[in-house]
Amino acid sequence: MATPPAMSRRAFVVAAGLTALAGCSGKNSSSDPNTLRILVNKHALTKPMNTMEWTKQLEKIAGVKIQWQEISADWDQKKSTMLAAGDVPDLIVGTNAITNADMGTYRTLFENLADDLDALPNVKALFAAKPELKSMATLTTGEVYAVPGYKRFWPKTVTHQYINKQWLDNLGLEMPTTWDELYTVLVAFKEQDANGNGDKNDEIPMDWSPVGTGGFGYFQPSVLLGSLGLPIAGGGGQGYFLEDGKVGNFLVDERYKRVVQFLHRCHAAGLISKNVMTQDYSAYQAVGRGSGDVAKVGFSWGWTASDRFGAQLADQYVAMPPLLAEAGQTTPVAWTYDSNNENFPSNQIVMSAKASNKQAALKVINAFYDKEMSLQVLFGDLGRYVKKISDNEYEVLPPADPKTDPSTWKWTVTIADNGPTWIRDDIELKLPADLDEAVEQTKPLEKALANMDPAKDVYPFQFIQMTPEDTNQLALNNTTISNSTMPKFAEWITKGGIEDQWDKYVQQIQNAGLQKNIDIYQRYYDEYMKTR
Amino acid sequence: MTETLVAARKPVAVAQRRSRLGLGRHVSRYWQLWLMVLPAVGFIGLFMYVPMYGIQLAFREFDFTAGLTGGQWAGLKYFQQFFDSPMFWTLLRNTFVISITTLVVGFVAPIVLALMINQIAGGRRKRLMQTATYLPHFISIVVIVGMLQAFLNPSTGLLTQVAAVFGLDGVNLLGDTSAFVPVYVISDVWQHCGWNSIIYLAALSRVDPQLYEAAKVDGANRLQLIRHVDVPSIVPTMVVLLILTMGGVLNTGFEKVWLMQNTLNLPVSEVIATYVYKIGILSTQFSYATAIGLFNTVINFVFLIAANAIARRVSNWSLW
Repeated sequence: MATPPAMSRRAFVVAAGLTALAGCSGKNSSSDPNTLRILVNKHALTKPMNTMEWTKQLEKIAGVKIQWQEISADWDQKKSTMLAAGDVPDLIVGTNAITNADMGTYRTLFENLADDLDALPNVKALFAAKPELKSMATLTTGEVYAVPGYKRFWPKTVTHQYINKQWLDNLGLEMPTTWDELYTVLVAFKEQDANGNGDKNDEIPMDWSPVGTGGFGYFQPSVLLGSLGLPIAGGGGQGYFLEDGKVGNFLVDERYKRVVQFLHRCHAAGLISKNVMTQDYSAYQAVGRGSGDVAKVGFSWGWTASDRFGAQLADQYVAMPPLLAEAGQTTPVAWTYDSNNENFPSNQIVMSAKASNKQAALKVINAFYDKEMSLQVLFGDLGRYVKKISDNEYEVLPPADPKTDPSTWKWTVTIADNGPTWIRDDIELKLPADLDEAVEQTKPLEKALANMDPAKDVYPFQFIQMTPEDTNQLALNNTTISNSTMPKFAEWITKGGIEDQWDKYVQQIQNAGLQKNIDIYQRYYDEYMKTR
Repeated sequence: MTETLVAARKPVAVAQRRSRLGLGRHVSRYWQLWLMVLPAVGFIGLFMYVPMYGIQLAFREFDFTAGLTGGQWAGLKYFQQFFDSPMFWTLLRNTFVISITTLVVGFVAPIVLALMINQIAGGRRKRLMQTATYLPHFISIVVIVGMLQAFLNPSTGLLTQVAAVFGLDGVNLLGDTSAFVPVYVISDVWQHCGWNSIIYLAALSRVDPQLYEAAKVDGANRLQLIRHVDVPSIVPTMVVLLILTMGGVLNTGFEKVWLMQNTLNLPVSEVIATYVYKIGILSTQFSYATAIGLFNTVINFVFLIAANAIARRVSNWSLW
């Protein structure tokens, strides 16, 4: 439901011939019981599965050979045709690779694990330790088709806010605390030689990650809604949010209008990157890393300073608390609450109903949720990338290659956040530098996050299982709504005009079925709260 | 292709007279020809006609457990849903604008280019020119869009810099709604113009030199030569190609539009193909997507028939 970080469109050229579906047969290619076929969703950086130690341990535990089918691009299209053809490998690994919506349509393809829990002691223990995960995985009718995970250490937010402290010092400016102060600072960044390289025109005062045509995600200015006290989750997604137990959509909220007006004011003054609406993610990353010791971007959002601005420039930036919309406002500020997405990843592993060797497949699922195996899946092999100090003390080792940052390193040596994991609450773990940094840089945001009540201000998207009818209804309306709202967001910021068009726009969005969707989300939320 | 051209050059009346021969006798008499066409017929039958049973998905609820054709009968529900969708007119308009513009410009440009190349004297220069114009046809769409993004980048793009020299500041051709169609069409024509002109050049090379001689003796200048000798000789080719392209009038190139889409140009760049992809493939609503695809095909079919009928009336050349 929450929009994942935008992927490069270039990664996804396709022949979207739906007629191709007609040619597929619904036969399951049977394989021999001594081989387990596991499809795994990987990052493009991740090395081949059979070069990891822990995959060999899995084979030993299951007593069979594992044949990995490794997918790191175009998963959405491959999945669609694969499921429609009914040809599912024994196991599918990958956080939300199979979504709840897929489950609705293709339920019969997957094994109901609710009756296999005796063969899955680790999963049983996980459900006992984290009841919210149990309710998240269990349908209203009692089946469990996918096992979620628990990652424990992730900060409550993925989006952090940064400003270039060195530029402020160069120009003798104070750290901004309100929108107006930020505006003044950005004007100074633009008009003066803030980075001190002799060129007054190479500074980009503000930049954010590409906003896709399907909704908002991490590192985007949707977090400015928090300045007006509007709580969002997962970066904003398609605009649905929860406030005091009531579902709304910020795309038609007056506070969103104010944010867009402020951003237009900035854009009109030339304070926002010219390429902000057309660049792709890699270009946005490259610009943030400047050139050598010279920074290019003044104010931006990212996961950590090192990830956003590169190791060389990271020290120039400081993490900041949320800005106030106005000086001395009484409305408490909020932020984007991403802990659910990150610490309770849903649907990490599913099993085919026709698995060639059911016992072996169950053994593999169970093994993934083992204490040490989970650490290896998330951070890399024990002994090589993770050091064992004692039975409940571990240390994630820094990258062997000093030029690589820990995050890139993690995604290279293992399947990391894509893998099924349960990080126990009772172990001591020395975190890798990037996670440490992210936790550290969340501190200025803690107060705002504390203003949000996780039960009443954060919509529990992944804890809710919907019927296929409702999922389809939502998807259909949301496609229509995004088609009107996302271009308007871009247009109003670059060209203005929100004041004159607002009423007509709200009417148009309402006509596209927004209220119907809000009602659906509200109904599910109310039912969910009854069971809590 | 050439067979169709040859067939098309026969006046319609002759074609009708010939078909009196019964099919069985025809096969036994011309069995070699039938044998030659058999693989093509088999291919078309297997890959174009057999999958058509899947069309019923547009009239049924897609129910995975019951198989592709076992879902509940839904009648015209999904067509109704599409016609009632707020997106319907936008999609139709965008698709038409992009494809009609491409069709018109993309139809005229290769003819002009072929006539120009044909006028160039000297074999080597002619060949060089031809090669230079048809090479871009082989660049993949991803690369083309990458090139567009590099050249039109609002701050570092080559063309943007050139525009800035002429005092056009802050041009963003990638994100401007009014620039999307021109950028799309011009790059498309640049890419395929040379390739599409080859067939006209072939037709032009068959013109009898005596016609030119005679026209020159009558005192025709160069433009008159083109008008009275070259153009009439490629009219049949033009008509056939026009009818064939009309059959794909709503088939905008999905990949290129998809890659060029961004939040700024979405109001004009969301076409039927991209919408079907978003709804059908990404949100697994196969019945709905099939219905939209079928609607698309029906429109194309109507255009094809109409174009053929008009061509038969107007120019006496047609496909059937």
